Amino acid sequence: MTINETTNCSVRFYAGAAEAAGADAVTVELPAGSSLADLVNRLGADDQRLAEVLGVCTLLLEGQAASSHTVLPEGPAAVDVLPPFAGG
Amino acid sequence: MTTQVVFAEVTESPLDAATLSAQVGHEAAGAVITFSGVVRNHDVGQAVDSIEYSSHPQAAAIIAQLAAETAVRDGVHGVGIAHRVGHLRVGDVALVAVVAAEHRSQGFGAVIDLVDEVKKRLPVWKKQHFTDGHTEWTGL
Repeated sequence: MTINETTNCSVRFYAGAAEAAGADAVTVELPAGSSLADLVNRLGADDQRLAEVLGVCTLLLEGQAASSHTVLPEGPAAVDVLPPFAGG
Repeated sequence: MTTQVVFAEVTESPLDAATLSAQVGHEAAGAVITFSGVVRNHDVGQAVDSIEYSSHPQAAAIIAQLAAETAVRDGVHGVGIAHRVGHLRVGDVALVAVVAAEHRSQGFGAVIDLVDEVKKRLPVWKKQHFTDGHTEWTGL
């Protein structure tokens, strides 16, 4: 039996989040058992503007809305970063 | 008489409110209410030149869901909702919501709630381009 020590996240940014991140998508490796909040902290660690934007974004884990406490699956996990909606 | 969702879409094509409205009428409906959301030439005191709208891949499914929720309201016989994405200029129509209902109060109420739900739940974003050249993502 193999125990994964890390989990891979495939993060997709949309709209203003992509602009703040400077990329449409990134892959992040985190320790196994990390939560979405850990992912957000890692993404914004070296970028104040991105950290601010992430603070108002909604996250989808595998296409479903998920709270920041949600533990990431063993992976690879697909996470979408959605800024506040502004339709109409 | 069944309630129909006549259209529910996120599209890059221009929207014509009159054409869309005419598709939603129903013989049991005494009121057809049409709302057009139009790109305005200013926002919070700044002159707007154009707006870039984009959407999440789930937007099509979500707009269909919002239309279906409206269709089951009391007195509603027809629903249409369309959101345009892409580069829109001042005066372009970004959103059209149409409800055909038995009575006007039912129609007005349904359109107000449908547009509110679009703003809350539809994963669409806008980047405003101002006439002085700077840009801004709404909500960020």
